[in-house]
Amino acid sequence: MTDTATRPAEHDPVTARPRRSPLAQLARFQSVLGLVVVFAGAIAYSPTRDGEIIFLSGENLTNIIRTMSEIGIIAVGMTLVILVGGIDLSVGSVLSLGAVGSAVLLVDDHMSVLPAVLLVLLIGLVFGALQGAASTVLGIQAFIVTLAGLQIARGLARIWSGGQAVPIAYGTGPGEAPVAFSLLGERTFNGIVPIPALIFIVIAGTAMLFLRVSAFSRHVYAIGGNEKAARLSGVPVTRVKITVFAVCGLLAALAGIVHAGQLNQGSPNDAIGYELDVIAAVVIGGTALSGGRGTVLGTVAGALLLGVLNNILALNSVDPNVQLVIKGLVIVAAAAVARFAPRT
Amino acid sequence: MPHEWGTAASAAAPLVALSGITKRYGGVQACQDIDITVAAGEVHALLGENGAGKSTLMRILSGDVTDYAGRIEINGAPRRFSGPADAQAAGIAMIPQELDLVPALSVAENVFLGRELRRARCLDRGAMAAQTRELLTRIGVRLEPGRPVEQLRTGEQQLVVIAKALSLNARVLIMDEPTSALSSSEVDLLFEVTRELRRDGVGVVYISHRMDEISRIADRATVLRNGRVAATFDPRTMTTAQVVEAMVGRPVQQVFSAPGSTAGEELLRVTDLTVHPRHDRPGRRDPDGISVTVRAGEIVGLAGLLGSGRTELLETLYGVGSPGTSSGRIMLGDREIAPRSARQALRRGLAFVPEDRRVAGLVLFHSVLANIVVASLAAVGRFGLVSGRRERRAAQDTASQLGIKAAAITQSVGNLSGGNQQKVVLGRMLRTRPRVLLLDEPTRGVDIGAKAEIYQLLGALAREGLGVLLASSELPELIGVCDRVVVLRHGRSVAEFDTATAGEADLLAAAMGEQPANDAACAPGGVPQPAGAPQPGGMP
Repeated sequence: MTDTATRPAEHDPVTARPRRSPLAQLARFQSVLGLVVVFAGAIAYSPTRDGEIIFLSGENLTNIIRTMSEIGIIAVGMTLVILVGGIDLSVGSVLSLGAVGSAVLLVDDHMSVLPAVLLVLLIGLVFGALQGAASTVLGIQAFIVTLAGLQIARGLARIWSGGQAVPIAYGTGPGEAPVAFSLLGERTFNGIVPIPALIFIVIAGTAMLFLRVSAFSRHVYAIGGNEKAARLSGVPVTRVKITVFAVCGLLAALAGIVHAGQLNQGSPNDAIGYELDVIAAVVIGGTALSGGRGTVLGTVAGALLLGVLNNILALNSVDPNVQLVIKGLVIVAAAAVARFAPRT
Repeated sequence: MPHEWGTAASAAAPLVALSGITKRYGGVQACQDIDITVAAGEVHALLGENGAGKSTLMRILSGDVTDYAGRIEINGAPRRFSGPADAQAAGIAMIPQELDLVPALSVAENVFLGRELRRARCLDRGAMAAQTRELLTRIGVRLEPGRPVEQLRTGEQQLVVIAKALSLNARVLIMDEPTSALSSSEVDLLFEVTRELRRDGVGVVYISHRMDEISRIADRATVLRNGRVAATFDPRTMTTAQVVEAMVGRPVQQVFSAPGSTAGEELLRVTDLTVHPRHDRPGRRDPDGISVTVRAGEIVGLAGLLGSGRTELLETLYGVGSPGTSSGRIMLGDREIAPRSARQALRRGLAFVPEDRRVAGLVLFHSVLANIVVASLAAVGRFGLVSGRRERRAAQDTASQLGIKAAAITQSVGNLSGGNQQKVVLGRMLRTRPRVLLLDEPTRGVDIGAKAEIYQLLGALAREGLGVLLASSELPELIGVCDRVVVLRHGRSVAEFDTATAGEADLLAAAMGEQPANDAACAPGGVPQPAGAPQPGGMP
């Protein structure tokens, strides 16, 4: 409202073209641009081994995508939630719940992979849907509902695992998980692309396509843009919001499965604070926290930007405390650039 | 209020003199060499279509826009304001259309926002409440200073803004369509206050689209067109035709199109509708015995004062009224309906254009396209998918059918003029192919050119068999556009008039309850009215 109020309210709309300053043009692709800048910086500051830039090695680059894939998968769901004007703080705990669930179902309950995975995904879906329902039907703010969800999911994960990390050993004997599950720690395409990265790419690609062509996504944007107007236009606001929270929960559980597969264990104490990294990726990607404006492409770029940043700081053995400061500054910079983004 | 600016010393110089004001926005010439003055104790009306330059000119005077060419003199002394605060300190107060109140704060807290009274370093709530009550009493409003602003109706909120401006010792008041949200009794009140201010030597710039108000209150009227002064009139002698011609630059035959009088089958029949809300909400007037019918091809008006329940009736019909139980019947065609959501109502063939398009109608930062198609996505795709080509074509069709003027269909709707924004909301609803269209103040904040286009469109739609139920606070609009008008009072339908035989005075009298015994009856056709009731007149 305020940004429209400050622009020339009276002009002839026939002759007026939306004017874009070069800065605004750049800002349109701010997250991708930011990724390029950080990437270039990473090359410049990368340590070298035998004249080879370590950062650019195939091994390192695929590692970046692999380490970011969990955050990335959830960030796709979080983008949807934030687009409807919501927020989901429970994703880190739900990830942990998903990881614990995978380990317990496979190891202790001797389930085969497919039913175990489906059951864990269902748990995430239901958990998210319940949060969405609590926020819409009871009219409690999503921040508060999911803050409670964060505690509940963490508690459930600890109860289910007995408070201990559940290790996953592979084999056919008792107490061993089917070997198929270890696939999540592997690479495909001649051992180049890590499976988690592949999952992330598929999820992100599907979401991008979905946001382009589906009627549902128009509803998502409309609700985040002006919920009252959306409701009066016949948009099923409650149903859409619950669905979006359910999808976010499902993707958090999926990230939990990936997490368990990579670490060969399900720990109830993992992924604490992940929700903040996820929200950071979405915000760096240019999605407005107020809703109605944002893209999955931006979120992917935001997640990769964070990944590259983490990676280059680690390669240079930067003090982890300093790393935190630098990451914080990058988030502020990204948000500042977003203010110049054109409102179209 | 202090009057240190005097009357004798500066009698020669006008209170405010703008000369040669010029301002460009990129390729758009908003103001071009505008000369305009406001004398102390003068109400100077400013007219013009949206885009004529009124708002820009006033934003320059109020210090909101600082990079302009030209000269501003206050009492003969040249001034160049560095910002709104600077202009405010010089005694210029703006009463904007979009009220700048903090909803959660009380009336008094809003009036004293940013300059709270203190005693011994603590807030002096008592003094603020007392001064606020005094200000409100001065403009004749009974409002509790401690009430949160969000509990007030739009009309009451506006009066709070006016009180706030008065508390700033304003010498020049800029009122941007101040009456658009007021009932006619509140308008009378506002005009009384304005006359009082005039006696005090305050200069008022009065922006309005309503001709009748201008002839009642203004001492001079200036018409802007395309950023220039097109004409200046004496409001006592000017005619609507003259003003409209100056505004649009060519003679305009008729603002209202003739009502299509070939009413067909009955589309909507509301019988004795009463809503018992689950929660009592202050300021809300739920239907309490309303009967109204709309036939195909008919435009039926809903008249009534602010708080008479016009909006609440439309919301109830559309399934978005107060939650609770209801009695009475709503028949759509030969089927009884009880819509419980907008989605249901739309599916049954009811469509609704809400009162405040910026709050309830549009996603301002989304494109014209997205705003037009959002209610009818199923029609531009299948299996839950949307065809980009088909939705573009659909939006383009609507834009050209309704004459929506936009640089591109991908332009964000917040940049359009009020009239074009309103057409976007209307177009969105028409794409749902409704049988009955519910309109709440469809021409509020819309310039007269776009108004005429909307009226013509409604006429054309009615001739194609659409039923229209139109709530409005503008009596000339109801008389000019509708075939019949139902008058509401205290949530009850109290009278019905045929606009061929009834006038504004009849509607007003019924709305205010000045009618004789037959007022409780829902009499069809023109009820004979006692002559001599004051005609608020103006627009033909």
